[in-house]
Amino acid sequence: MKRSLYTVATFVKINTRRFFRDKLALFFSMGFPLIFLFVFGSLNSGNKNVSFNVAVINQSDSSFAKEFAKSASDNKVLKVNKDITTLDAAKEKMNKSELDATIVLPKDFGDVQKGSKTPSGQAEIVYTKNNEQSGQALSSVLQAQFKQINAKFVNVQEPFTVKTNELNEKSLSAFDYTFAGLLGFSIIGMGIFGPVNVFPELKKMGILRRLSTTPLRVWQYFLSTMIGQAIIGLISLTAMFIVAILVFHLQVVGNYFELGLFLVLGIITILGIGLALGGWAKNERQAAPLSNIIVFPMMFLSGTFFPRFLMPDWLQNLSGLLPLTPIIDGIRLIATEGKHLVDIAPQLGLIGIWLVVIYFIAFRVFRWE
Amino acid sequence: MKAMIEVTDLKKRYGDKQAVDGISFTVKKGEIFGILGPNGAGKTTTLEMMETLRPIDGGTVKIDGIDVSEDPQKIKYLIGVQPQTPAFQDKTKLIEVVEMFAAAYGEHVDPMEFLRDVELEEKANSYVESLSGGQKQRLSITTALVHGPKVFFLDEPTTGLDPQARRHLWELIEKVRAKGISVIMTTHYMDEAEVLCDRIAVMDNGKIVAIDTPKNLIQQLLKRGFSKKQHVEQANLEDVFIDLTGKGLRDGQ
Repeated sequence: MKRSLYTVATFVKINTRRFFRDKLALFFSMGFPLIFLFVFGSLNSGNKNVSFNVAVINQSDSSFAKEFAKSASDNKVLKVNKDITTLDAAKEKMNKSELDATIVLPKDFGDVQKGSKTPSGQAEIVYTKNNEQSGQALSSVLQAQFKQINAKFVNVQEPFTVKTNELNEKSLSAFDYTFAGLLGFSIIGMGIFGPVNVFPELKKMGILRRLSTTPLRVWQYFLSTMIGQAIIGLISLTAMFIVAILVFHLQVVGNYFELGLFLVLGIITILGIGLALGGWAKNERQAAPLSNIIVFPMMFLSGTFFPRFLMPDWLQNLSGLLPLTPIIDGIRLIATEGKHLVDIAPQLGLIGIWLVVIYFIAFRVFRWE
Repeated sequence: MKAMIEVTDLKKRYGDKQAVDGISFTVKKGEIFGILGPNGAGKTTTLEMMETLRPIDGGTVKIDGIDVSEDPQKIKYLIGVQPQTPAFQDKTKLIEVVEMFAAAYGEHVDPMEFLRDVELEEKANSYVESLSGGQKQRLSITTALVHGPKVFFLDEPTTGLDPQARRHLWELIEKVRAKGISVIMTTHYMDEAEVLCDRIAVMDNGKIVAIDTPKNLIQQLLKRGFSKKQHVEQANLEDVFIDLTGKGLRDGQ
C-alpha cells in the first residue's frame, strides 16, 4: 500500500510541476476565469445604483425652474445629459435608447400665477414606448421631489405617510449569485475541459499505452489526477476569491476551512465527468462533441451565468438535480450566507450520489488507448 | 538452459483475419531474439499479446514460468516495453521521466544513474521535447529498464534513425543482453537482425516460416543452391557512409 501511494505522490508532484510550466494551461485555468470575473463582476456592480439617463429641457426663465434644473443634475438617481437642449435632439436620442426619458419644464414653469403667492407649474416627462417603465419610475421620483418642495410652500398635515426602514441583515446581492456561478464555471473549465483535451492527446501519442505496460493501476492514475487537480483548483479559486473580495467587495462570512473542503469536493466531483469523457474517448473527435453536449446545458441550467431562480419552476426542479447545482448553491450558502457543512446536508447528499455514479462510470469506461 | 519465455500455439483473430495463427517458440535467458516479417505478418500483434496489451485468443505465453493471461499484473513487473514511437508528456525533464516510470513500479531510483547508462546525463534537466529521435529512443530504453526486468521488448527500435544512432542503439541493446536480460525485437532491417540477433523467427501471414540463428538460415539457403546474381563487394555503401562521417553520435539540435 505504501508503494502504491508513493507512485501516486510522485505522479502528483511531477504533473503539478508540469502544469505550472505550461503557460497555456495556466491561462485557461487561472487567467480565463479571472477575466470572466472582471466582466461579470463589473456588469453586476453597475446594477446596484439604479439611475436614469435623462435630458432636462428648461423652457422657462423663472428662477425656480433654473434652481430645479440644477438640483436635477445633482440628483444621484438622474444622469443628466447636458449636451441636449432641444426636445428634437432628445427625441432622437430616446429613439436610440441612449436616453431613458426627457424632463420638460414648460415656459410658465415656476412662475407665480395671479391670485397665488407661491410659484407653481407642471413638469412633463417624455418617454418612448420602449422605455415605459423608466418613464413611470422617473415620474414617481419627480413626484416625491415635488412633494418635498410643496411642503415648503404649503403646510399640509398628511394623514398617511410611508417610512423606509433598512434592515441591518445582509441580503444577497446579484454579485453573490454571479460569483458562485463563476466559481462553478471555473470548476467545469478545469475539471472537464482539462482531461477532455489532454487524454485523447496522450492516447494519440501512445503515452497512456506505454503506462499501461507498467503495473500502474487506473485508480492510482485517477487518484493522482484528482489530487493534482484539487491543488491547482484551490489555487485558482483562491485567486478568484481574493479578486472578488478586494475589487467587488464580496463579503465572505462563512468558515474558510469548511469552504475549502467543500470546494475540493466540488472540484473532484466535476473532474470525474472529465475523467469519464476523456478516459472513454479514443480521440478528440469523440471527446469534443460529447463533452459539449454535457457541459453547455449543465453550465446554463446550474446557474453559472444567471441565477436559477429566474427559471420557470419545472426547470428549476429539473436543474436542481444536476451535479453542478448543489456545488454552486453550496459555495454560496457557505461563503456568503455563513452556513456550515451540517446545514447543507441536502447539497452534500446530492453531490455524494453524483460522486459515486460519476466515478463508477469513469472507471468502467476508461481506456488506455 | 531453462527458457525465459515459452510461447505455445499462440493465436489472435481480428474479424476475418487470423493475425497470429498458432505460433510457438522459446527465448532463452540473455538471448536477443528477432522477429522478422513483412508488414501485416503479425509481428506487432504477437509482441502486444506477450506484453499484456492484447487479450490472447488461444494458446499460452509464459514468462519466467508465469502465464501472461492469468496474471498480467505480475508479468508487468517482469517486462520492459519499448514502443515503436516513444513519446513522453511535454514540459517534463528527463530526470522526472525516469522518476515517474520508476514510481509506476513503486520503485525509488537515482535517475542520473539510468540517464548515464544511455549517455543522456547532460540532458538530465532538459525537457523531453528538446530531444532528437535517437535520444528519445535511448530515454525510452532506459525507462523500460528502471525496474530491472527479465525480458525487454523492442518494436522496430531503429526505424527512422541515422546510421550513427542505429549503431549506437545496437551497442545499447547488446549491453542489455550482457545484463542477462532476454531481448525480443522486431525489425525490417536484415543487417540489423544479422548483427544483433542470436536467433530469428521469420513470420508471414501469422505463421512462423523459419526459426534459427542468422548464420544457419543463410547456410540453409546456400545449401538449396541459392547464389546472388551480383558480385558482392567487400564493402557496402553503409560502410562508405560510416567511413566518411565517422561513428560519433549526432545529437546536435
